[in-house]
Amino acid sequence: MDEKFDCIIVGAGIAGLAAAMILARNNMKFLLIEKGEFSGAKNVSGGVLWGSDLAKLVPEYWKEEDGGWERFINHRRLTFMDDQSTFSIDFKSSHFNETPYSGVVVLRSKFDRWLANKVQEAIDNSDFAIESFIATNIKVDEVLMENDKAVGIRTGEEEFHADSVIIAEGVNNLLTRQVGLQDDYVPADHLLTGIKEVIRFDQKVLEDRFQLNGLSGMSNEFLGYATDGVEGGGFLYTNRDTVSLGLVAGIKDMREKQKSPHDILNHFKSHPVVQDMIRGGEAVEYSAHVVSSGDKRVMPKELYKDGLLLCGESANLLMNAGKAIQGMDYAMRSGILGAETIVKAKDRGDYSARTMREYKQALADSYVMKDINNFQDAVHMLHSPQMFKEVPNLICDFGRKFFTIDNEPTKKSRELLSESIKEHSSYWDLMKLGFKGAKSL
Amino acid sequence: MLNQVQNDKRLVQKKESIMKLLKLSERLGLVSYRNQAKSEIKPHIRVDTDICNSVCPHKCTTYVCPANCYTMDDDGKVHFQVEDCIECGTCMYACDQGAVDWNYPDPETGRGVNWNFG
Repeated sequence: MDEKFDCIIVGAGIAGLAAAMILARNNMKFLLIEKGEFSGAKNVSGGVLWGSDLAKLVPEYWKEEDGGWERFINHRRLTFMDDQSTFSIDFKSSHFNETPYSGVVVLRSKFDRWLANKVQEAIDNSDFAIESFIATNIKVDEVLMENDKAVGIRTGEEEFHADSVIIAEGVNNLLTRQVGLQDDYVPADHLLTGIKEVIRFDQKVLEDRFQLNGLSGMSNEFLGYATDGVEGGGFLYTNRDTVSLGLVAGIKDMREKQKSPHDILNHFKSHPVVQDMIRGGEAVEYSAHVVSSGDKRVMPKELYKDGLLLCGESANLLMNAGKAIQGMDYAMRSGILGAETIVKAKDRGDYSARTMREYKQALADSYVMKDINNFQDAVHMLHSPQMFKEVPNLICDFGRKFFTIDNEPTKKSRELLSESIKEHSSYWDLMKLGFKGAKSL
Repeated sequence: MLNQVQNDKRLVQKKESIMKLLKLSERLGLVSYRNQAKSEIKPHIRVDTDICNSVCPHKCTTYVCPANCYTMDDDGKVHFQVEDCIECGTCMYACDQGAVDWNYPDPETGRGVNWNFG
């Protein structure tokens, strides 16, 4: 192939597919390359796709009988756990039943493949129906650079040329490192291993157990016992007839505490309250993938170069600030903004860093970088040792005391709380943490 | 009365049919890999186990790898096999000794995963 593309996108995950959709709609000639057998074949997420950007890419996607998504979220739960108990903040509202949904649970092998079909439809309707395409089963070995400007990619012996390259390769960003935007070795400090089982139930059992109605779903995050003393947290999301049950665990912390992620997952699964949730289920897949923590210190030095942009988790765009684990929505928005910049560059005939810089600005003006910048303190707090040990233990201890009725004179809540604090932490530690918390949220 | 309570407690405990905790080998049995029919595959990760077995103070890959690709023998030596790798990336960050040369598997000649759910 000697013809030049306007753009080559490396990686057909959510960032790459979102970018491709925008390019197709703007009649750009592009190549979207995926190393897996199909889009989603190599992707793992928790996972909930938060926000409503999906409706921009696939309008009224919820009307489709069997779309790529599993369930919409109208029930949120944040659970603190010790070895016996759970203490939850639980919020459910029919407000979240309205479309566009503000979050849908997805299984990537199905979702990405579905989204790729939508992108293919957009390509078919574009001016470059024949010349643009999605190529799977191809591993990109190198981004071709000329005078520090991206001019294409190499796979094996073959080269493909383009005016621009979007790297959307995911968190294990080898090409990002190759072009010099990330160090060759990235230390484990702000990276976690996500690990989960997909557990199947009879759909009726699942719906009754989690009080699901139609396609409504629940997301549950866990702090404390779930990670066996390691930095991170657990999650449970309801799919159509399965649940995704797993956790994220800090890699550096596992290294130092000599913990195995698969042991931690069994530890989490053996908790009595979790056992009640998954009783009778059958594991149908086990998976794992690295995720970023949301700490800005792990992010690449820059998001662009001449003729080149980084989208999605290639740029470590993911954050867990306590409210939700957001990564797929960041990928989607950054893919959209990246592609819009490429469209502008073509209009101007200028793919240099001067135009590419506008992507960085657009991302900075969007909720993605605004949230990442505004919630750094929350990320630090959530990843501080007290949050996955002392605090959940203290909260559960208080809960146990508060809810125990034992025909003895009942102590006032304040007294109970004070006992729990003394037992599991100190006022001084809590004051420090509370101060951090108040500042961060 | 107290006996009655204890009996009830036992009944309740018996009623629970807890979900079996899976061994790692059982978990990996649920994973679909590529090119499984091929006897010879090109490893996508190269590990310089000489580094693991000489200077590394923690040998952490032997416990942080979710697929147990890194094992330690009775003499405390680290060995690596790529066949069960699920391409998560953990070892690339966990190893701070420069022993892990990580890459994605070749679609034709490598192993690697093919998620059914993901």
